[in-house]
Amino acid sequence: MVRFIIRRLVSLVVVLFSLSVLVFVLQRVGNADPVRAYLGPNASQAAIAATRIKFGLDKPLIVQYFDYLGGLFHGDLGMSYSTRRPVAVELADKVPATLELAAWVLFFAIILAVILAGIYTLKGPVSGVIRFVFFSFASAPSFLLATLMLLLFFKQLHWFPAVGRITDTSGGGPTGFYVLDGLLTGNLAYSLDAIQHLVLPALAASLGIGVALARVLADGLSSGMASNYARTARSLAETERSILFRHSLRNASSPALSMLGVLSGAMLSSLVVVEQIFSWNGLGQYLSTAIASADFPAVAGVSLVLGAVYVILTAIVDVVLALVDPRVKLT
Amino acid sequence: MTPQVLDVREMSISYGSRVPALLAVSGVSFSVESGQCLGVVGESGSGKSTTGLAIQGLLTRDPSVSATGSLTIAGTELNPVVERGWEGIRGRTVTTVFQDPMSSLDPTMTIGRMLTFVAGSKAESLRWLDEVEIRDPAAVFRSYPHQLSGGMRQRVMIALALARRPALLVADEPTTALDVSVQAQILKLLRREQEALGCGIVFVTHDLGVAKAMCDEVVVMRNGCIVERGTSARVFGAPESEYARRLMESRLTMATDRHRPVGLPEATVVNAMVESLNEGRAETATTTVDAVTAEWNARSLLWSDFAPADVGEVSVPPGASPGAAPIAALEFTAVTKSYPTGGGIARLKTVLSEVSLRVEKRESVALVGESGSGKSTILRIAAGLESASGGSVQRSDVDADAVQVIFQDAGASLTPWLTVEQLLTERVRNSKRGGKVSAKDAARLVGLAMDRVSLDRALLTSKPSQLSGGQRQRVAIARAIVIPPTILLCDEPTSALDVSIASTVLNLLNLLRHALGISVLFVTHDLAAARVISDRILVISEGQIIESVPAENVSSTVSSDYARRLLDAVLS
Repeated sequence: MVRFIIRRLVSLVVVLFSLSVLVFVLQRVGNADPVRAYLGPNASQAAIAATRIKFGLDKPLIVQYFDYLGGLFHGDLGMSYSTRRPVAVELADKVPATLELAAWVLFFAIILAVILAGIYTLKGPVSGVIRFVFFSFASAPSFLLATLMLLLFFKQLHWFPAVGRITDTSGGGPTGFYVLDGLLTGNLAYSLDAIQHLVLPALAASLGIGVALARVLADGLSSGMASNYARTARSLAETERSILFRHSLRNASSPALSMLGVLSGAMLSSLVVVEQIFSWNGLGQYLSTAIASADFPAVAGVSLVLGAVYVILTAIVDVVLALVDPRVKLT
Repeated sequence: MTPQVLDVREMSISYGSRVPALLAVSGVSFSVESGQCLGVVGESGSGKSTTGLAIQGLLTRDPSVSATGSLTIAGTELNPVVERGWEGIRGRTVTTVFQDPMSSLDPTMTIGRMLTFVAGSKAESLRWLDEVEIRDPAAVFRSYPHQLSGGMRQRVMIALALARRPALLVADEPTTALDVSVQAQILKLLRREQEALGCGIVFVTHDLGVAKAMCDEVVVMRNGCIVERGTSARVFGAPESEYARRLMESRLTMATDRHRPVGLPEATVVNAMVESLNEGRAETATTTVDAVTAEWNARSLLWSDFAPADVGEVSVPPGASPGAAPIAALEFTAVTKSYPTGGGIARLKTVLSEVSLRVEKRESVALVGESGSGKSTILRIAAGLESASGGSVQRSDVDADAVQVIFQDAGASLTPWLTVEQLLTERVRNSKRGGKVSAKDAARLVGLAMDRVSLDRALLTSKPSQLSGGQRQRVAIARAIVIPPTILLCDEPTSALDVSIASTVLNLLNLLRHALGISVLFVTHDLAAARVISDRILVISEGQIIESVPAENVSSTVSSDYARRLLDAVLS
């Protein structure tokens, strides 16, 4: 276990380091001038030269990179060119927003996958419908689903709000995770409001993942139900439902979990789109603004955070895999 | 009078999902009393497995299966394809020990959790583990299936099946996937438990030796029908039906005559023999199918009859002076092999240590050992599929391609999208002189190889999936000998085959090695098969060759305990 943690920490460092190099190089190769982005189009030549020195852009490239890297070690992600505030401060309330949404997306996706795959495998009257769902929803892009949901649940039915993370923006709490904050401060109405805001964007982002996951899970469950251990269970008088949940589900979850690890990467990028549509004040929205204004420190900051989140997510998936399947050893 | 626990009357079962609909079991009747063991014996496709599934109530989920006739278990009349009535019977009155204990136990569940589900309590589970002679019940209770050996897993399977004290136990090939020495222990355990519980047993198997050792009564099935029934002693001693007689004759024991073809004359082998005898002879001197069959029946057909006339010249390589030691077909000198295991940097697992062996030209050597003994590793190194970590390997490839391999699972070793003709022609092309062979000559060689293994030339256009298991194994042999190699390496080529097909393959291999003068290295766990195919037997255990004995009188010459154990495991 200790070995596993050390290995994952090392891979975290390697991923973050490569990301920082990549983002840095990309920014330099691109044509956008960060100083112009910082000062605006009407700045004087003198001001541009002064800012260039202030940002250290006159130094050799390699020195610039190590200056940046040195800052990273102190938690300094640099100054945003467009807002002129430290990136670390700007991200402080964006990261919880996105992580909270991501957690709900994964939660919805897993629930959806287990329900769909379970119904499909037990061969009820609706398994034909589910087969149709498997094929149609897996290919539906999340922005389309998001728009459809807005039209239906917000515009027509008025069930859920469409914009933002919370109705009353004056409240708040220690963590920045609004549902959790509400619980911590004893303000249940606050939590409930946050959940209502979460439902639509989380659903929109989770449908595609959940259906893809359900297909893998359903495959595993069907072969599990036809397996020799299921036959043994049947010969020992277990019911079909018991075989499904006691034996097949656990055996089928290994490939589904590996799939989930891969999908969670795709989920993070699909959140960029979903956050735009629901005006969700998270990393995705921040990132698209930053890219548009050539705001290198901001883009780099978001990339590093997302990279770290991805590495941690895969580590969690591996731990769960080992818990589910005794043959898997954590290395 | 002992109560009847199972009564099957005129039971027929057909699978509607197959096209055309397959009548798997047709009008089968038998009964089992408490404390009795009935063997249901047959080859693949005989309907014995379907019969086994039907009496366990495991055919009720597939709507395409239909059945007629009656089935009564412990006084309850049941329909094998209707779920109603099975509740309370399946898993309680009738339970099962399945063939493959690895895949039949849920890999994600501890033995304890599985066993407690049927035994009721932890104490009772531990008592059952003790009952099936597991040495450390508490440790096994906490283990997962993959942490146990095959024999241990099968003991757990037996504990699971017996824990509810069934009136009827179905044993579905319970020892087929196990090593021979473990097999004997498991059979003994089943016998003892049967006496303790007094349950009836239906023992489904293709292995005649196991059936003979285990069963009081036997029914022999073929194509869904019972062709012979009677007490075990009578059926094995004096079989009445032609089919049962053929089956019994095909059975290999340590008393099988190794100088003659095994079993009764069979068209496939006889045709190949006639082909071989007539090759290169004048028209007037040819023999016929009838003549060979008569000779075989009269037990006057010897393998030595098939040796080519020019024996002497083959083994002396060109340029060798007379009297010099002949070059071996294959020689291992102090070969070692080790694999790195996961974990440490320098941790190595040694699978072969200092193995030296020599296979002369025209000699046939069998390598006998249990799984994990390193016998397959030797074969793979000999074939060049793996390289040795130390020592030297020499193959004689002076005048022919050095090695060809026949694997256990011929189906998997044939490329599925190529036709038989493409498979064989590809082998001709890939041989040493393949580039120079004209298309016409290649076709002639391929045709000849088909005759030698007695495959109809019409099958040349078939793909492996369209052939039966025995035919596939013969295609694999044809591919190996279409350009005769110096040495033919065989990795358990018969162990996945039915008894009668296995004896056909053994006969063909023996014919080819005598007629073509090929050396053979035959890897097997079955001492009886080894004795029939080889001149000399090497016994291997834990990566070392511990004994080398002539095949002629193995039983009297082996001296090591390990070889004795292997010998005892061959059921007489």
